[in-house]
Amino acid sequence: MKPQPGPLKRISNRISGGGYNYRRFAKFAMLAAILLLLLACSTGRQSTWDPVGPVAEKQLLMFNVLVWVMVIIFIAVEGVLVYAAVRYRRRPGQGLPKQTHGNMPLEITWTIIPTVLIMALAVWTVVVLYEIDEPPASANDVLNVHVTGHQWWFEFEYEDAGGGKRIVTANELKIPVDRAVRLTMDSDDVIHSFWVPKLAGKVDIVPNRRNHMWFQADSAKIDSLPAILYGQCAEFCGIAHALMKFQVRVMDQQDYDAWVTNYGPPPTTTAQAKKGQQLFGQCAMCHSIDGNNDSAAQASRKEAFVAGGALVPAPNLTDLRTRASLAAGLLDLNKENFKRWVNNPNAVKPGNLMQARAAHLYGSGQLSLSDSDLDALAAYLLNLQ
Amino acid sequence: MVSITGVIARPTSYSGLWGWITTVDHKRIGVLYGVTAFIMLLIAGSEAGVIRAQLAQPDNTLIGPETYNRMFTMHATAMVFMVIMPLSASFFNFVVPLAIGARDVAFPRLNAFSYWVFLFGTILMHVSFLVDQVPNAGWFSYANLTATTYSPNDGLDFWALGLLVLGTSSVAAALNFMVTIVNMRCPGMSMMRMPVFIWMALITNILLVLAFPVITVGLIELIMDRNFGTHFFSTSAGGDPVLWQHLFWVFGHPEVYILILPPMGVVSEILPTFSKKPLFGYPFVVFSGIVIGIMSWAVWSHHMFTTGMGPTALSVFTVTTMLIAVPTGVKIFNWIGTMWGGSIEFKTPMLFSIGFISLFIIGGLSGVSHAVAPSDFQQQDTYYIVAHIHYVLFGGSIFGIFAGMYYWFPKLTGKMLAEGMGKVHFWLTFIGMNLTFFPMHFVGLNGMPRRIYTYSDDFGWALLNQLSSLGYVVLFIGMLAFVINLIQSLRKGKASGHDPWDAPTLEWSISSPPPAYNFAEIPHVEGRDPYWTTKRRAEAAGQPVAGPEALVDPSTIHMPSPSYWPVVAATGVVIIAAGLLTHYGVSFVGGLITVIGVIGWSNEPATAPNSHN
Repeated sequence: MKPQPGPLKRISNRISGGGYNYRRFAKFAMLAAILLLLLACSTGRQSTWDPVGPVAEKQLLMFNVLVWVMVIIFIAVEGVLVYAAVRYRRRPGQGLPKQTHGNMPLEITWTIIPTVLIMALAVWTVVVLYEIDEPPASANDVLNVHVTGHQWWFEFEYEDAGGGKRIVTANELKIPVDRAVRLTMDSDDVIHSFWVPKLAGKVDIVPNRRNHMWFQADSAKIDSLPAILYGQCAEFCGIAHALMKFQVRVMDQQDYDAWVTNYGPPPTTTAQAKKGQQLFGQCAMCHSIDGNNDSAAQASRKEAFVAGGALVPAPNLTDLRTRASLAAGLLDLNKENFKRWVNNPNAVKPGNLMQARAAHLYGSGQLSLSDSDLDALAAYLLNLQ
Repeated sequence: MVSITGVIARPTSYSGLWGWITTVDHKRIGVLYGVTAFIMLLIAGSEAGVIRAQLAQPDNTLIGPETYNRMFTMHATAMVFMVIMPLSASFFNFVVPLAIGARDVAFPRLNAFSYWVFLFGTILMHVSFLVDQVPNAGWFSYANLTATTYSPNDGLDFWALGLLVLGTSSVAAALNFMVTIVNMRCPGMSMMRMPVFIWMALITNILLVLAFPVITVGLIELIMDRNFGTHFFSTSAGGDPVLWQHLFWVFGHPEVYILILPPMGVVSEILPTFSKKPLFGYPFVVFSGIVIGIMSWAVWSHHMFTTGMGPTALSVFTVTTMLIAVPTGVKIFNWIGTMWGGSIEFKTPMLFSIGFISLFIIGGLSGVSHAVAPSDFQQQDTYYIVAHIHYVLFGGSIFGIFAGMYYWFPKLTGKMLAEGMGKVHFWLTFIGMNLTFFPMHFVGLNGMPRRIYTYSDDFGWALLNQLSSLGYVVLFIGMLAFVINLIQSLRKGKASGHDPWDAPTLEWSISSPPPAYNFAEIPHVEGRDPYWTTKRRAEAAGQPVAGPEALVDPSTIHMPSPSYWPVVAATGVVIIAAGLLTHYGVSFVGGLITVIGVIGWSNEPATAPNSHN
C-alpha cells in the first residue's frame, strides 16, 4: 500500500498546486528567515543586546530568559492552533461533530499552570527591581553626576569630579571605567528620558521630581578605551526630540583624571583664538565658558526664558574641545562641522532654540559673521593651532 | 412647554437624507457609525503611510519634524477614538438588539444623539487641519509639553475639546447599551445564556462609563491650564506633570480592554459557527472577560515604569500586569478548544478569527516581556512597544473587526461579501501586518526610540525600517482589495439568504436585511445558542427550517418614531466646544441650542401619536 502523505504535506501540495517545488521554496524561506534573524540581532550603536555593564546585563538576562520561555509557549500554542485548524478542517459530506461544551479539569490546568509560571517570574522580577535600584554596597567611591534635561540637550554637573573639582559640561558624559556612576536627574522644561542602552534601561527626567539611576561600564566588556557609548532621549519632548542625542565616553582612570585636571576655559595663545574669545562675547549670553559659576548663570537664563526674554539656558562650552561630537551628538566635532552648525543651526537641527533665540544674529537665515570670524571662533572653542 | 415640540413638525420620512438624519433605528445608526469609522480608518491609515514613507530612508527629508509629529498624533488619536471604538459601537448597534431578541435599544434617541456627537467631535478635531493648528503632542499628550509655553498653538485645544466631545458620545452610548443588555433581553435569555459577544459588549460599556470620567477630569484640567491660567500640570507653579500620566493611564489601560474585548466577543461568535460546535468553556470565557475588566483598573502604571516610581510601586504593578495574562490566556485556550474536534470551514470570517488568535498570542507574549519592569526599562518608548501595540490593536482589534464585518455583512445587506476577494484581503493583510510590525521588535531592541522623525544610517536601523515600509504597501493593497470587495458586493453581491453560515444566535432567525421591527414576535429562548437548537430540533423532526421569520405588516408594530431633537442637541454640544476655540459667546449659543434640543426631546413622545411605526 502506498503511504499517505501527512496533512501538512497534503496542504502544501494543494497550495502549490502539486507542481511547484515546495522544497525549494521552503529552503529559500528558511534562508531568508535566518538572514533576517542574523541581521536583526546584529548589534548596533544603541543595541540592548550588547551590554557593557551590570545593570544592562541583568536587564538583558531577564529579557533573554523571557524570550526563550515566550518562544516555547509560542511554538506550543501556535502549533496546537495550526494543528487544530488542519486536523479538524471540514471534509466533504461530514456530519455534525461531537457537541462538547467544555472540560473542567482542562480549564483548571490551563489556569493554574500560567499562574504558577507567572508567580515564579514575579518573585525574580521583584528581587531584580530592588537589586538594580541603587549601586551595590560593595561599590565604593561612587561618582555622582547631576543630569539636567533641556529642550533638546543634556547637561551634566559633577559636584566633585575628582579632587573636589566641580565640573559642568554638556552632551558628552565622561566616566571612568569600572566605577559605579549614580545620576540624579532634573528637567529644566518638559519630560525627557535618559537612555544609554548599553549601560542601563531608561529613566525619565521629570520636572519637579528628582529621579535617580546608576550604571557602571566594565573594562572586561569593552575592547579598547576610551570608548564612546551612544544615548538618546526616549521620551517625546517636542519638535527636535529625534535629534536629542548624547554620548558617554568611558575612559581609563588616568585619562579621566587628566580631563578633570585640564578642565577649564580654552587657552588663548594665538591671535586667532583671542579674536575668537572676543567674538564669543555674544554667545556668552547663553553659553557659559567657565563651569564654576554655571548653575547661577543657568538659573538666571531660565528665569529670563520663562519671562519671555531672549535668553535660554544653553550648553556649557568650557570643554567643548574635548568632546567627540557637536549639536547634541548630531555631528562629529571638527572645524567644518562647527562652522556648518553655527552658521545655520536649523539646517542641522530643525527647531533648535539657538537660531530662534539669537534671531538678531541670524537676520538673513545665516549667522552674520564673516568666514574668518567663524574660523576664529572655531580656533578659540576647539583650541585649534 | 408642549408647544415647543410643535415648532418643528415631526419628521415623517424614513428614506433619503432626512430619513438618515432623523433615524432612531439601531440598525441604521449602526451603519452610520460603521461608515464614518471606516472613512476614518482610511484617513488614519493614510497618516500611517506618511509615517512609513518618511522612515523608509535614513536622514529622509520627505516631511519635517512638525508634520511627522502631527501625523503620529492624529494617526493614534483617530485609530483609538474614531476608528476602533466606533467600529465596535457599530457592531453593538447592529448586533446587540438582534442577538438579544429586542426591537431596538433602550433609548433610541439617545443612540442617535451619541452618533451625531461622535460625528461632530470627529469633524471638530479635523478642522484643525484646515486652520493649520493640528495636535502634535502624541495621542497621550503628556504634560507639561502640553503647556502653552511649549505648545503655543491651538492644536492641543482642538485635541482636548475634540476628545471631550467624543467622550460625551461614548458615555451616552455606553449607558444606553448597558441598560439595553440588562433590561431588553427577550424572555428566557438569562445572563448566562447571552452570546459571548453580548457579554463582552456589556463589560466594555461598563468600563467605558467608569473610565471616561477620569480622562474627562484630565482634559478639563488641561483646558483650564491652557486657557484660564490654572496650574494643575504647570511645573513653574509646582504642579506635577506625572499627575497627568496617572489620569491618562487610569483611563488609558481600561481603554485598551475597551478596544480589545468587543473583537474578542466577535471571534467568540465566529469560531463556534465555523467549527460547528458550541463555544468551549463558555463560563470561563465569560468570567475571564469579567476578570480582565476588573484587573484592567489595577495595572495602569505599567505605562509609567520609567517615571521613577521606586521599586515598591514597580513591584506591585509589575505583578498585577503579569497576572492579567492568565485570563487572557484562558480565553485563547478556550478558542482553540472550540476548534478542537470541530468541522472547521475556512470562510473569510473564520480566517480573520484564526488570524486574530495567532497574532494576539504574539502581542500577548510580548506584553509579558514588558510587564516585567526591569526588561521594560530597555523597551519602554522604543519600537518594541510599537510592535506590541500593533499586534494587539491591529492583529487583535482590527482583525476581529474585519472578521465581524465579513460575518454580519450578509445580515446587514442580504448580500455576501465575495469569498475570493475576501481571501485575497485576508492573506495580504496577514502577510502585510507581519512584515510591517514584526521587524519593529528587532529595531526597537536595537535601540530605536519611538516618535523620532529621522534616524542616521550609523545605527543600523535602515533595513528593518524598509521592511516595515514595504509591509505597509502590502497592507495598503490588501485594504484596496477590501474596498473593491465592499463596493462590488454591495452592487451585485450574491444573495445571502437569512442564515448563510448556519449560525447559532437569534439575529440569524430573521430575514436579511432585518425588517425595521426586527422580530415580528419576540422570541422565547430556552438555552444558549437558541437558533442552533431550533434548527437541530426541526431537522430531527424531519421539517428543517426553510426560511426566516415571516414578515408582517409594519403598521401593526409600535416602533419609536424618527426625531430631529437628537441631532439638534448634538449640534449644540459641538458648538459649545467650538466656542472655546473661537469666542466664548459662541459657547453660550451652543448651550442654548443644546437646552432647546433637550427640552424638545423630553417633551416629545417616543412614538408619534398618529404613527404606527
